[in-house]
Amino acid sequence: MTTYRRRPPALLLVPAAAVAGCTLIPLVYLAGRALDRGWAFVIEELIQPRTAALVGRSLLLVVVVTAACVVLGVGLAVLVSRTDVKARRGLGVALTLPLAMPSYLLAYLWVSVYPSIAGFWGACLVLTLVSYPLVLLTTIAALARVDPAQEEVARSLGLGGIAVLFRVTLRQARAAIAAGALLVALYVLSDFGAVAAMRFEAFTWVIYGAYRSGFNPARAAVLSLVLMAFAVALVIAESRARGLAVSSRVGGGSPRPAPLNRLGAWSWPALLVPAAVLIAAVVVPGVTLADWLLTAGPRWDFAEWFGALRSTAWLSAAAALAATLAALPLGVLAARYRDRATRMMESASYVAHGLPAIVIAISMVSVGVLLLRPIYQREPLLILAYTVLFVPLAIGSVRAAVEAAPIRLEEVARSLGHPPLRAFGTVTARVALPGIAAGAALVLLTCMKELPVTLLLHPNGTDTLATRLWSYSSVSDYAAAAPYALALLVFAAVPTAVLGMWSTRAGRVRGG
Amino acid sequence: MRAGFAVADMIATAVAAQGISKSYGGNQVLSGVDLDLPEGTITAVLGPSGCGKTTLLRILAGFEDPDAGTVRIAGETVAGEAATVPVHRRRVGLMPQEGALFPHLSVGENVAFGVKRSTRGEAQAQVAHWLAVVGLDGLADARPHEISGGQQQRVALARALAAQPRVLLLDEPFAALDASLRVRVREDIAVILRDAGTTALLVTHDQSEALSLPDSVALMIDGTIAQHGPPADVYARPTSLANARFIGATVELAGIASSGIVHTALGALRARLPVADGAAVVVLRPEQLRLGAGPSTTPARVTGCRFYGADTVIHVELSDGGRVQLRSPGEISLAQGSIVDIEVIGSIETGVLAYPSPTGRQRVALGESGG
Amino acid sequence: MSILKPRLAGAFAAVAAMLALTACGADSQTADPDKIVLYSGRSEELVGPLVKQFTADTGIEVETRYASSGEMAAQLITEGDKSPADVFLSQDAGALGAVSKAGMLAPIDAATLQAVPGQFSAADGTWVGVSGRARVVVYNPTLAPDPPDTIDGLLAPEWKGQIGFAPSNASWQSFVTGLRVVRGEDAAAQWLRAFKAQDPQAFENNVAVRDAVDSGQVALNLVNHYYLYELIHAKGADAVTAQNMFMAPGDPGGLINVAGVGVLRSAPNPEGAQAFAGYLVGESAQQYFAGETSEYPLVTGVASSAEMPPLSDLQPPAVDLSQLDDIEATQELLVETGLLTN
Repeated sequence: MTTYRRRPPALLLVPAAAVAGCTLIPLVYLAGRALDRGWAFVIEELIQPRTAALVGRSLLLVVVVTAACVVLGVGLAVLVSRTDVKARRGLGVALTLPLAMPSYLLAYLWVSVYPSIAGFWGACLVLTLVSYPLVLLTTIAALARVDPAQEEVARSLGLGGIAVLFRVTLRQARAAIAAGALLVALYVLSDFGAVAAMRFEAFTWVIYGAYRSGFNPARAAVLSLVLMAFAVALVIAESRARGLAVSSRVGGGSPRPAPLNRLGAWSWPALLVPAAVLIAAVVVPGVTLADWLLTAGPRWDFAEWFGALRSTAWLSAAAALAATLAALPLGVLAARYRDRATRMMESASYVAHGLPAIVIAISMVSVGVLLLRPIYQREPLLILAYTVLFVPLAIGSVRAAVEAAPIRLEEVARSLGHPPLRAFGTVTARVALPGIAAGAALVLLTCMKELPVTLLLHPNGTDTLATRLWSYSSVSDYAAAAPYALALLVFAAVPTAVLGMWSTRAGRVRGG
Repeated sequence: MRAGFAVADMIATAVAAQGISKSYGGNQVLSGVDLDLPEGTITAVLGPSGCGKTTLLRILAGFEDPDAGTVRIAGETVAGEAATVPVHRRRVGLMPQEGALFPHLSVGENVAFGVKRSTRGEAQAQVAHWLAVVGLDGLADARPHEISGGQQQRVALARALAAQPRVLLLDEPFAALDASLRVRVREDIAVILRDAGTTALLVTHDQSEALSLPDSVALMIDGTIAQHGPPADVYARPTSLANARFIGATVELAGIASSGIVHTALGALRARLPVADGAAVVVLRPEQLRLGAGPSTTPARVTGCRFYGADTVIHVELSDGGRVQLRSPGEISLAQGSIVDIEVIGSIETGVLAYPSPTGRQRVALGESGG
Repeated sequence: MSILKPRLAGAFAAVAAMLALTACGADSQTADPDKIVLYSGRSEELVGPLVKQFTADTGIEVETRYASSGEMAAQLITEGDKSPADVFLSQDAGALGAVSKAGMLAPIDAATLQAVPGQFSAADGTWVGVSGRARVVVYNPTLAPDPPDTIDGLLAPEWKGQIGFAPSNASWQSFVTGLRVVRGEDAAAQWLRAFKAQDPQAFENNVAVRDAVDSGQVALNLVNHYYLYELIHAKGADAVTAQNMFMAPGDPGGLINVAGVGVLRSAPNPEGAQAFAGYLVGESAQQYFAGETSEYPLVTGVASSAEMPPLSDLQPPAVDLSQLDDIEATQELLVETGLLTN
């Protein structure tokens, strides 16, 4: 038994509902703005053939990139957790690193090296490279929990390595793969930086255009609502794929590591794919960046750079903390009290993740000036906007971590005299802590790269590495931009590496 | 049923469950269960999977609330009658099937978990004491994943006992251990419980466990207590065919009952318990049949022999076509088709079990029965 | 007590305290005579030194926010009269026009307005032009040794697939608006359709377009004149292949657009805001624009940079700049002809 059968306590429901409500603020703003011009306008925008064409282009991008990420992420996860490939642990950590790369930067660097790559395939390449770690991480974690006894039995029944993989191992990891794929899909739906640099006219480009050069919030709002409808559809699809059943194994006795497939002759060829990925995602951009630095000679205003670094660090840390705390009630509800209401709340908080950041930004501006004037363009509103944007990243991690902590431990703690909340705190929370911390790390590194929301809501005089990078590269001052790009990559790589190390470590030790 | 009990008896009852009913989504799991656990005794609840015994245990512990009925622990009403005491105030100990040691704590910290913290030194003394009781001195600093399954179970016991529970609930705690270990561990644990004088409820589907360990065993079939009494009693005098089948291996014969004598292919057998005239089923225990040389033997044709080391099981066919098995010590090899004489031990002195033949509608209990 | 509870409570308390402290620090809309808030649609690299100079000369502190003009205008309109901004410095007239149309701009001081020729400011005086830019064709001499100097020349078959442009860029859309004004809706639509038939390559912004020409990816593009000089200053004249072709007199492609400044009606510090606007049309600021960005100073008496033809030599089409704020109709037209979205 992995879930409680009782009704969830108010202590969880109230904050969870509040958080889910906050994430729907952009939706409220959009609905209001879209209806500014009346229903006729909305309908007229929606039935345009160009709207359908745009939707088609974006959906194609989402489908291709998500599929590519699933193939790549799952394949690499299997390579790292179920084969005897060389330097498994180091490889696992290294393969997580592309997550630290902002999509706009990677796209920009690639286009400057290979201009002809621009367009649909360029956008696919860049988006796949920066998003596959989302699937990689969740899959590694899930593979760690698969009962090796099942794989061993399958082999004894005559199934070869590949068959065991597909029919036994991956089927159990299905839910985790779906969760990772959802994050990828929502991200691709909302991304602007990569498609802009690659000149692929996706939906987000048009929405940005409507804000930037048309000052037409109503049109942008209608288009955003279309985007949101797809986000909702994606969330529902993932929820179905995940299903109601939660597979959670209670480990008893000493843990048995999963059987590793021998690669034999494939040992070296097997390294080709990870090598290619790392070259594309890390080496090529790294070399180009170095080239920028060397060509024009570094111009480095240390004070300004350090100020941006400090702001980035503390804002991201605050956002990570806030998002993780906000995610706790929802994550615990999703893990322990799986009924219709909690599933709806969880899904609702994911929907905003599919909106382009500019929409979140403008809606928070609106809310900021109307309701929260004292904190408008100050850190608290910015952190609130980050929370709205990133809470889905944290919820998934909290949910997975709490699901993996057996409910039996909590029951035993209660039987030993600890009241329910204390039992949760001393046992489940402690066991789930590494997973929750991983979620915080994910928010941290994603926040460091964030641009549109920061641009509109940052306090005057406060800059982050991303805004500085933008301001210099928008006037083609690559020499000045390079130190910021470098700083962004290096410092975002730190939480990414931690995330990677934790994932691979958890992948080797099963049970208690 | 409670009418004849003296007040003194009631006080000595550590746990009293009365009229417990529980259903899940249209499925009636428990219907009107009454169970008393006298102070200082070990009671087993034996039943097949899905009969509701785990649910009963969870209700006693407080993880579930009964739909109807009351639970009293040491005279205090903890469930039902509008007053529900939460789990952490019931002082019930739990020993789950998989041990469930806290992975982030050491063995000593696990054991100390439920100990009321007075001073650190006192807690450590308690830990040392209980670890010694379960025979695991010196393992206080080990981590759960470093010790074996059997040791983990002992630590779980020490942890539960260290919290001074009023009753200890054991949920099939030996099922995860391998066979040889299981017998040894459960014997040791029974001794520890008796020495400590702890009231315990053991839930199990293992017959040998239910017969050898407790002071009394309650048979639970389909959500009700079918019979409750000392193991020997329940084994020798099961009140129904289903109970007989569940409590031990059976060899069944068809027969006609008339005034307490059942006429079967093995002769006229005296029924131990009253049985209605008419078609009847005689239930013999495997140890009641043997190769005989006495006066009242019946010929039967051998159809097979299986050697089991300590004894041999001989399959025979009776004159009316019925097939039975009997055990004989040592190695006996008989040719197929040969005729042997078999007799029923104690058929006159103690009688045999006989029940009316089940009609088509009567449900037969699932789970282990027969040899 | 539980380990988690105090930690949780502590975390919440910390966050709440942080919110309270920073909120307390906010002084809402109280006017501070020595401070203005500037929303700048022009980059920090450009505006930063100018702002410092302003503060040094007048003693008024400036808090600046930087973003792109369009987003800034959208933000201003969303903020409404609760905006903390005093001044809006925009890259182009369209954004200013939109904010003005939303009724958010106050009239500029007469003295400031008079410093600049009337054609470079709003007709209703709600914003004043500060520096000018001419639309040009930037071309790659290797690929296009004989580039056209009229927009109709761009429609020649030899340029098919060789033209770059930035469809979401405000200056491009201003050009199209100007085209509509000069030639009328039908002729403009006709030209756009013909342009679309030339299979032009779309880029994200002017910088990308210019770089594409310089690298040889496309042969021609339509941008503002100073982008080339910006590249020359950054990389050195020897490293740059591309060159500017200024348009023929009166050709719609030679539109001169202006960057301008407007004062918010809801400005907390209107005097300071007007002072800033006045400063930007003063001689030192105008010379700064001429030198720093190679833009055209609009105030008579200040000479432009030597590397480009003087403003007086250029004959832009006669367009009322305040009509350039009708971006929405332009966007409809662009969408209709398939140039804005696909």
